[in-house]
Amino acid sequence: MMSSILLIGGIGCVAALILGISSVTFAVKMDPREKAVLDQLPGANCGACGMAGCAAFAHELTVNDQAEMTCPAVNEEALAVISEVLGRSLGGGTSVVACVCCKGSPAETVDRYNYIGPKDCRSAQIIAGGAKGCGFGCLGLGTCVDVCPFSAMYMGEDGLPHVIIERCTGCGKCVEVCPRGIIKLIDKTGNYSVGCISKDTAKVMKQLCKVGCIKCGLCVDICPFEAITVSKDNAALIDQNRCRSCGLCVGVCPTGVITPMRKPEKVSIIAERCKGCAICEQICPVNAISGEIKKPFVVDDSRCIGCGMCIEKCPTDAIERIRS
Amino acid sequence: MRNVYRKVPDRCHRKDSLMKTFKGGIHPNDKKELVEDNPIAALPLSDHYYVLTQQHIGAPAKPIVKPGDEVKKAQAITEPLGFVSAASHSPTSGRVKEIIQRVHPVTGLLAPCIVIESDGKDEYMPGLPLERDPFSLQKDELIGIIKSSGIVGMGGATFPTHVKLSPPKDKKIDTFIVNGAECEPYLASDYRLMLEEPQRIIDGARIVMRILGVDKAIIGIEDNKPDAIKKMKEIAPPEVQVEVLKVKYPQGAEKQLINALTGRDVPSGGLPMDVGAVVQNTGTCAAIWDACANGIPLIERITSITGRGIKHPKNLRLRVGTPVKDVFEFCGGVVDAAKIIFGGPMMGIAQFTDEIPIMKGTSGILLLTEDDTNLSTYSACISCGRCVEACPMGLIPSDLSKQGEKGMWEKAVGTNLLDCVECGSCTFVCPANRPIVHFVKFLKSLQRAASAKAKGA
Amino acid sequence: MKDIFISSSPHIHTPEDISWIMRQVIYALVPGALIGIYFFGIPALMVIAVAVTSCVVIEAISQKALGQKITIKDGSAALTGLLLAMNLPSGAPWWLVVLGSLIAIVLGKQVYGGLGNNPFNPALVARVFLLISFPVQMTTWPQPRSFFAPAADTVTGATPLGALKTAIFEHKSITAAPDINIMDPFLGNIGGSLGEISALALILGGVYLILRRIITWHIPVVYIATVAAFTGLLWLINPGIYADPAFHMIAGGLMLGAFFMATDMVTTPITNKGKVIFAIGCGLITVIIRIWGGYPEGVSFAILIMNAFVPLINRFTKPQKFGAV
Repeated sequence: MMSSILLIGGIGCVAALILGISSVTFAVKMDPREKAVLDQLPGANCGACGMAGCAAFAHELTVNDQAEMTCPAVNEEALAVISEVLGRSLGGGTSVVACVCCKGSPAETVDRYNYIGPKDCRSAQIIAGGAKGCGFGCLGLGTCVDVCPFSAMYMGEDGLPHVIIERCTGCGKCVEVCPRGIIKLIDKTGNYSVGCISKDTAKVMKQLCKVGCIKCGLCVDICPFEAITVSKDNAALIDQNRCRSCGLCVGVCPTGVITPMRKPEKVSIIAERCKGCAICEQICPVNAISGEIKKPFVVDDSRCIGCGMCIEKCPTDAIERIRS
Repeated sequence: MRNVYRKVPDRCHRKDSLMKTFKGGIHPNDKKELVEDNPIAALPLSDHYYVLTQQHIGAPAKPIVKPGDEVKKAQAITEPLGFVSAASHSPTSGRVKEIIQRVHPVTGLLAPCIVIESDGKDEYMPGLPLERDPFSLQKDELIGIIKSSGIVGMGGATFPTHVKLSPPKDKKIDTFIVNGAECEPYLASDYRLMLEEPQRIIDGARIVMRILGVDKAIIGIEDNKPDAIKKMKEIAPPEVQVEVLKVKYPQGAEKQLINALTGRDVPSGGLPMDVGAVVQNTGTCAAIWDACANGIPLIERITSITGRGIKHPKNLRLRVGTPVKDVFEFCGGVVDAAKIIFGGPMMGIAQFTDEIPIMKGTSGILLLTEDDTNLSTYSACISCGRCVEACPMGLIPSDLSKQGEKGMWEKAVGTNLLDCVECGSCTFVCPANRPIVHFVKFLKSLQRAASAKAKGA
Repeated sequence: MKDIFISSSPHIHTPEDISWIMRQVIYALVPGALIGIYFFGIPALMVIAVAVTSCVVIEAISQKALGQKITIKDGSAALTGLLLAMNLPSGAPWWLVVLGSLIAIVLGKQVYGGLGNNPFNPALVARVFLLISFPVQMTTWPQPRSFFAPAADTVTGATPLGALKTAIFEHKSITAAPDINIMDPFLGNIGGSLGEISALALILGGVYLILRRIITWHIPVVYIATVAAFTGLLWLINPGIYADPAFHMIAGGLMLGAFFMATDMVTTPITNKGKVIFAIGCGLITVIIRIWGGYPEGVSFAILIMNAFVPLINRFTKPQKFGAV
């Protein structure tokens, strides 16, 4: 028994010694800067940078001093570290996130037929144009969810894909695979988008979907920043450069097709600081705040959309976000 | 216990295993008994006809009429755009009502369509039908007539015929083949044409022989049509030889037909003219005769309306543009259809509405009940090898299906994706119900998109 | 139009799907199983029942646990159970059979992704695992007796190949091995695993599968022919230490292996050319193990080793495409 233990143990030690020596003598010399750069990259090998993976991109950045930062997944700290390591300042690292512009879940739409075939939206599209009645609606087979390298998308219970904004790096893979072009990349700071890209007239669209944009233009009228455009054959589109996330359009939209991109961080009023001036009640786009003058006001959090306009305008800083 | 995998129809009067055939293929139950004994009937005139501007391979045709115009039967209403394109003609006399977007049976998307309101008089253009001797015309004149008559391949592929009959000078053609195989199950339109109007086919074939400059032609007919074989043999002149082919799908596919009849292999990526052959469907030959001898363009065709989902299956002479609703009504109405298919069951296109018109290439309309079609989901490939045995092009369909699941089109091109003719033999036999043809179509669409992007960039 | 279905072409399909294939293979195994039950009695029936039931139950549980679709209806788990049972000695205790089913289904199939993704034959993976882990129980061979004889009359003894191997090891010659009437292993009156004893029953089942086009003739014929040729050559060189080819073909698990184990579609090459190469490899390795290896029977190991080569064989035996330039 003792001899077997010693023998096997001995072989193991010798093998480990050989491996250890080889890892030193046969080590591949990598530029230490390249390794430092590689450490800052996300390692998802999604290909959005245009190279064949993070290692290839790290190599390119190190050897080529004209190389641009085309990886959308690095945050500011990582960008700073990389710039320092390489000794040159790298701008970029885009700050967009994906946004699914369709709210036509199976409950709200009609289908033209029953589809039989691979569970892939692109495959479904090439056979008779896809089962959904609306030619601009989400087919719901989840190819975008499957292809996301950062697990930043999931199929909701409503049968539509949803983006987890915190994980999304804007790599654009989901945009590429959607056969109907429903997914758009919009500015990370944006908060509202129109969940419809239909080019059909309102009359046609109403027969196909209960929640699509009917191009009524109410949102255009109410927007104080002229951030929305709509025409009779183009669904409403919010210009993220102009949008201030006031949320007025959400309150006025008859089909509810304008959606916040993030779960709204609702607000509550700190009663001790509230002087009851009613500015917040007037400014609230969805009438979620109520109260008597000179008494503390109250937020109805079932109506609050978390736009934050009240926080901006409150003279006594009496409103705060509810951190859950 | 039904064994459809290896069924040889018992109407084969010869169990001769030395009959000409090709490697691979399958033996589905041919189900032709539903409709093959029905003689060709004509549909009464419809109120409206819907002529799509794209009924052929190539560039869509351009309308040359506008709403309100009066048109006569056989009048040209669209003109071809470019060399690979085809004209269309009005199927009856009347007035152009509107040019609107309607669902196209091939893509399922909206496409331009000329709507003609018929005036009930069904009057030809003045002077038609002509009486002329096509054999006194020159080759170029004949090709010009075929082009202006909008004739396309009527086996279903709808390739413009005048292009096929104008091979480049360096391709020497020595064999003309008439495709009478009709290998798709259920369909019997070519069969009825051969039984009832064989002279039109033979005469059309002789015109094509004159155009191509060949002195012999072969008509290939599958052995499950013994009376058509007999009829054709009776009236065929010595320069047109009738050959009997073993019953196997897809015998009627061009490459397999040429291989079985002549032993030549069309090279990968090539065309039949590369081995000196040209193939035309029997219906196309008949249409060529009508155009060259009588000046009648392609405005009607024979279509088999069949399947257990239609009350009275029939073979109908239908005008191009006939609304399918009228056809169903004439055949007693739809009994129960899980699928409505334009074409045959192996390569036809499923439809989701009956608001569609008959097109030049509609060889059949099948109404399949749930029992006759396959609605199952698929599972993983079990490497049984049946698809490899069945594939007439020598591919490995199971590899293509696995690559299709992952969208790996570049690897698929490396495993001969582009040689697939999408005949469906592999999908028919797959025990795991894998939609292999769908995967192939998907991979090809990715390849096209990538190569378009590369060209654009 | 309501309730209309759209799919890509083709729109018709053969009725021969996976469940149909599994059923046909099970029917083909029935004669061999019945002979096993006749000669080994109720214990054999128990082994079969336990194996089939535990395979189906384990597959259902493991698929549920992994959140996959439950596919026991396709019959592949039941078939694996039956094949496993045919490979075990009829006196195998129930816990051995259940353990074997667990290995076959979980380690042999599910961890790879389920049916179609496994590289090795699941029943053989289980058998070899059991053989190596429980050599005593796996080499205790009850001798055949009439079905109607009481169970207490069961004796255990060596199988023909086992006797051969012992004779070689101890006496360097096969003449010391007991004489076997070739009709015994042909009909089944011989010791061995539950399902391998009757060459006739297995041949009948195998021929049925070939005629029904479930399997092709290539693997069984080439495998058996290779064994016959190789052992025939050796026997001609020295009949004193090598048994004759007819004996090698009929005795042992060759018939079961050649018709039912080596023809498992998932783990064998996809083209006929590849199948021939696979079968030759199986034949050579089987004979090498039988003659010079430590075990008396080499079929299970040979097939598993060749399973590992299948992707390579597939790579080099691609069919030529139509119109190759």
